[in-house]
Amino acid sequence: MNNCVVRLMLGNHAIAHGAMEAGIAVAAGYPGTPSSEIIEYLLDNGREFGVYAEWSSNEKVAFEVAYGAALTGARSMVTMKHVGLNVAMDPLMSSAYTGVRGGFVIVTADDPGMWSSQNEQDNRWVGLHAYIPVFEPYDPQNAKDLVKLALEFSERHEHPVMMRTVTRVSHVRGPVTVCSPEKPRYSEGYVKEPRRHALVPANARVLKNELLRRWSTIERDIEDAPHVYIDGNKNLIITSGVAFTYALEAVKNYGVKASILNVVTPVPPPRKIITDAVTRADKVIVIEEGDPVLEQQLKALLYDENIRVPIMGKMENLFNRVGELTINSVMDGLSKALDITKPLASISTVKVDYSPPQRPPVFCPGCPHAASFYELKVSTARSSAKPVFSGDIGCYSLGINNPFNEQDLLTNMGSSLGLGMGIYHGTNGKTLVIPIIGDSTFFHTGLPALVNAVYNKTPMLILILDNRVTAMTGGQPNPTSMISIENMAKAVGVDYVRTIDPFDMRKAQDAITEAMNVVKGGGVAVVIMRRGCALEATRLNRGYVARYYVDTNACRACGICYNLIACPAIMPLENRKAWIDPNMCVGCSVCAQVCPYNAIKPEGNVKEWLRKWAEV
Amino acid sequence: MRLNIYLTGVGGQGLVTFARVLGDAAIRAGYKALVAETHGLSQRGGSVDVHVRIGDVDAPLIPRGGADVVVAFEILEAFRAVDYANEGTVFIVNRRLIRPPAIKQRIPSINELEDLLRKGIKRTYIVDAYNEATKLGNIIYENTVILGALYSILRLSQYIPQGIIEESIKMNLRRDIDKNLRAFTIGLRYGDSK
Repeated sequence: MNNCVVRLMLGNHAIAHGAMEAGIAVAAGYPGTPSSEIIEYLLDNGREFGVYAEWSSNEKVAFEVAYGAALTGARSMVTMKHVGLNVAMDPLMSSAYTGVRGGFVIVTADDPGMWSSQNEQDNRWVGLHAYIPVFEPYDPQNAKDLVKLALEFSERHEHPVMMRTVTRVSHVRGPVTVCSPEKPRYSEGYVKEPRRHALVPANARVLKNELLRRWSTIERDIEDAPHVYIDGNKNLIITSGVAFTYALEAVKNYGVKASILNVVTPVPPPRKIITDAVTRADKVIVIEEGDPVLEQQLKALLYDENIRVPIMGKMENLFNRVGELTINSVMDGLSKALDITKPLASISTVKVDYSPPQRPPVFCPGCPHAASFYELKVSTARSSAKPVFSGDIGCYSLGINNPFNEQDLLTNMGSSLGLGMGIYHGTNGKTLVIPIIGDSTFFHTGLPALVNAVYNKTPMLILILDNRVTAMTGGQPNPTSMISIENMAKAVGVDYVRTIDPFDMRKAQDAITEAMNVVKGGGVAVVIMRRGCALEATRLNRGYVARYYVDTNACRACGICYNLIACPAIMPLENRKAWIDPNMCVGCSVCAQVCPYNAIKPEGNVKEWLRKWAEV
Repeated sequence: MRLNIYLTGVGGQGLVTFARVLGDAAIRAGYKALVAETHGLSQRGGSVDVHVRIGDVDAPLIPRGGADVVVAFEILEAFRAVDYANEGTVFIVNRRLIRPPAIKQRIPSINELEDLLRKGIKRTYIVDAYNEATKLGNIIYENTVILGALYSILRLSQYIPQGIIEESIKMNLRRDIDKNLRAFTIGLRYGDSK
């Protein structure tokens, strides 16, 4: 325990560092908010200690990499966001049957409130579904402590363990005691055990019984986890995860009189610990982030134990079932349940006489996606096509907004191609479908769908926006840096494949028009819009940026630049003429190309800059 | 001691770094600090907020009406933060207007916005950080000017000695330390004016 210091640390970094203190050897993940910083930390800080970490091509592959390592006896971890776990469900279900040799932790970072997600599924259900215990931390320090416990617990039971974190743990910085990492625990060699590792039906039937036996042992062992009981009075608040911190504040600062039991494992709940606490209470309130996972199990458990006591929580709508918990929502619920006046209601609020316009997220200045959406809009309008724009998950999801409106549907990673094919066939071939997908999402789950489109002869124009990185989650690298999407599309047998630069607007529009004709003729077309992310380009070439400015004498205030590209760097002045903020412009040249009056002029060596940018 | 500092601005303005300097300084001074950030899709040029809580705190989010101070890195965002304010809340507002793109409605001038804000919020401090930073040669010093203003207006020196917050600036910003420390000193003047 020497060499320990207290540092302000992000929850995700604490998880990564905790894993290193527990001798993690292999870690894999696919980026996704709010999980991405775990693998990033291990890539930045783990390698010097001998940790193997990777960004995998999707969550299923990441899961299998870490799971395989655990089968050899190495300590391993896989990380992903909540919806990413859906992609990894197939190996996840099997992992409980085979068990593991080395400690194996599955980190799922849930996003209650959907800050950056398409749903707010609560992955603690998955633990119940798969017979995998779920550890749930409440703050960064606790997350570090629990990941160590989880790895040891997993190794002791030779069984996978899930750790469910949420946005308000993963993306919270707090004081964390940081100690030296342990030497990574790799395996000496894989011991073949086909009876355990090869799930043919005959083996699986035997293993299901073993799984249930292991689950009973786990249920008993979980009682010894560091659950916290704070004695108060006969009102008992049971929490798990970040809800614990709200309960603590309620008792410390807002006059709530109650005992608190925080359980480390909402799945399976510690039966004896809970029964003991409930026996001393005459009212039980369950607070948890997400669905009433703990509450439902608690009710079943107390029915079995023949304990009758009022239990209230999300099932009674005491706390919000949509969105994340806040002190306000927790206090509203507690005030109702305990019949006390809301202490927060007495705060004298203030008012101002103006409500500003909404400010939704937008494409960054110089974003190549904005150029692509503009070109797509112009090309489809010119040929009077009325396509369905089948969207996908990435920065380009922002194409849903004005002035583009080119994401008609988007549901999950890689869905642009699959749903697109369904729309084509559902309308009996009458729809021109244009799936729009990014490079990382294409490698993630777009590729099998492209194979399907060619194999089942489903004509579509697939636009692949290749900005060289997984931009939305912070610019992580992905296979596009090594593997040519163009060659893959050709190898699959796509009828028309072109790679173009969205900053070359005329060529881009020509290629889209040509591709639409191929699709009208029954072919599958792929157009790769290739240009590095503007954030990456400016980061890699700090200080070297050419810019554009508006020649006010030439500008005729037509508004094409600021209305149709919606670049945040271009603003209308009082006289409706355009003005480019020199602090925001990154010199992409797109506005200069759309200006019909040649009023937007370069400053600095634009050609040289765009050439450097193209190297990203 | 419990201090709730609500930061609001536009994605890309550097709120996360600002909060890290503040939270790190608090921990170096021996206090607990929690910083709740916004990442991902919500950060691209849209409204963002960061909750900084220092002292005797457990939960990561500031309750509505519970902010001791609102720091607005952009003036329109200050108006959106009033839900977190009460009658005693101090507003520290950067004198900077960033127009949301592709908005049809007219946006009041920065002077009009200042007046509108002062009418509703008694303790409003307008910090000319954008211009101060431009004078120093780069708008990247904007946030350190605001940090200085926050430090002096709230009299944070009673909890965090100046040497410690300067140390935190050095450790967390790493580049252009001299200019950043000068920007911090410029910001300190705002605490003297009222």
